[in-house]
Amino acid sequence: MKKLIQSKFYFYYKGLLITILSILLFIPEISSATLTVKANHDHIKINFFYHGDEVNVSGISDEGLDLIIKITSPEIHQVMKKKGKVAGLLWMNVGTLNFEHVPNLYFLHTTGKLDELLEKKEMDRYIIGYPALFKHVEITSNEKTKTVALTGEEKEQWFKEYVKFKESLSLYHLSEGDVSIKKVEKGLQDYHIRIEWPYQAPPGEYTVTVYGIKNKQVVETAETKVFVEQVGGVKTLSDMAKNYSAIYGIISIIVAIAAGFGVGMIFRKGGSH
Amino acid sequence: MYLYLPVALTSISIFIPVGLGLIVGLLSGLFGVGGGFLMTPLLMMFGIPPVVSAATDTNQIVAASVSGTYAHWRMGNVDFKMGLHLLIGSFTGGLIGVQLIKILRAMGNADFAIKLTYVIMLGGVGTYMFFESLSALRKKKKAEFLPQEKKESAIGRFLKSLSFQTYYHKSGVTHSIFVPILLGGFVGILAAIMGVGGGFLMVPVMVYMLRMPMHVVVGTSLFQILFTCIEVTFLQSYTNHAVDFILAVLLLLGSTVGAQIGAAFGRKLKGEQLRILLACIVLAVAIKIIIELTLTPSLLIGQTGGH
Repeated sequence: MKKLIQSKFYFYYKGLLITILSILLFIPEISSATLTVKANHDHIKINFFYHGDEVNVSGISDEGLDLIIKITSPEIHQVMKKKGKVAGLLWMNVGTLNFEHVPNLYFLHTTGKLDELLEKKEMDRYIIGYPALFKHVEITSNEKTKTVALTGEEKEQWFKEYVKFKESLSLYHLSEGDVSIKKVEKGLQDYHIRIEWPYQAPPGEYTVTVYGIKNKQVVETAETKVFVEQVGGVKTLSDMAKNYSAIYGIISIIVAIAAGFGVGMIFRKGGSH
Repeated sequence: MYLYLPVALTSISIFIPVGLGLIVGLLSGLFGVGGGFLMTPLLMMFGIPPVVSAATDTNQIVAASVSGTYAHWRMGNVDFKMGLHLLIGSFTGGLIGVQLIKILRAMGNADFAIKLTYVIMLGGVGTYMFFESLSALRKKKKAEFLPQEKKESAIGRFLKSLSFQTYYHKSGVTHSIFVPILLGGFVGILAAIMGVGGGFLMVPVMVYMLRMPMHVVVGTSLFQILFTCIEVTFLQSYTNHAVDFILAVLLLLGSTVGAQIGAAFGRKLKGEQLRILLACIVLAVAIKIIIELTLTPSLLIGQTGGH
């Protein structure tokens, strides 16, 4: 019995300690809890007629704060082909590169020029901006017998290429000064940004983070999620291709053969008239 | 109007794949080639991942080649016996080629050698075909191309000495059954190593080595391609999950019709005219690869997979 009381007491004690600690930990980061974020369209459904979408991110913050809105996917590992010159003349695939801790999607929208808004240290801490992302990712090259980590100029060159590749797919996007602050009342302001959601963004969970900035420091953050999922026929076909690949392959072949014959028949009929 | 592609994970205007299908199907019905050389890079250009482009194109070729084979069969232009013998060869050759490429890759820098061999081969075959058909067109009334006659007397005698001589009725030629099997095997090995369908190599082989009439070559080549593509579609779907059904349907809407038009149009052309057109396309492909190899690409990295 004594033991039970002791352990109960221990639990209360532990709980209290955790609460105090977490309050202490959160104080320097969030000075007040006014910052809110909302995505008007947080469940994007992919059907056959899906061609991207529009997501409106909005919320309230303290008056006078600058804001940075970051949208990212969970970090992935991606293997890419690397092109280089062979024999000093011909461009060919010369190997593969592994990109680690890279988001598949990375959007950044701000209320002003990024370099003027935030200190470098803060950018690195919250992975805001390409230079911060550059420091965060790891790039390794698969050589004949071993994997070599890239550093310095070489890492920079391939990171730039990666960003270029992602931007070509509309999966990376950085635009400064396009978050609009709408109205100011009672020491609060509304902010809003309309984001063209690219159809190239695969299904998954995306995180929208808003950073409230004062004196080049992040003083508040708020977060929300955007879910992208396949529905209906798109989901059925996609699941089937993955989980019942043999049947899927056979159906694809049968449909192709039937279509070939079908069109052949139509043309024969057309020809005989 | 846009449609979302569930495996490629991207959206495309339906007019693009239907239009591409129509053009590639036309070439297919006209020349008896699959057209992967054209379709795969074009699909990639429109944002389809390389693996999905290659796999889905193969699925589409199944439809185009059924349509084309059917059209050519009605004109009496398919030599099923020859096609079957070539198929036995190319199937076996494909299996050998896949193993061979592993050995070559392990030796290092194989891709460079392979690509270079491919370009030289395309250039060589294209040039030869171009001048041969040009001279044939000029000497239309005289006997068929003379340099070939000389060659046949040398190799021809050896080929005729082989056992299992068979008469291929549709093609009007007599060969030992080993000849198409071995030639099919040779094309199969090369196609597997170079990662292409092999229509470009098979058609000249049938014209110049098996001495088949051009119109029968086109029909028989399509018949042969059909089976190769059925096999590859299944493997691509089963191992890579890379066949996009919706994209394939859009492509085949165009390509099956294109193949019919191509076959009907080809009927109006003479063998030499068809050969010279094909030679021009083969040469254009060779030039395209050379340009690709020498110009600085806009992106220095790309997704893995594909050709």
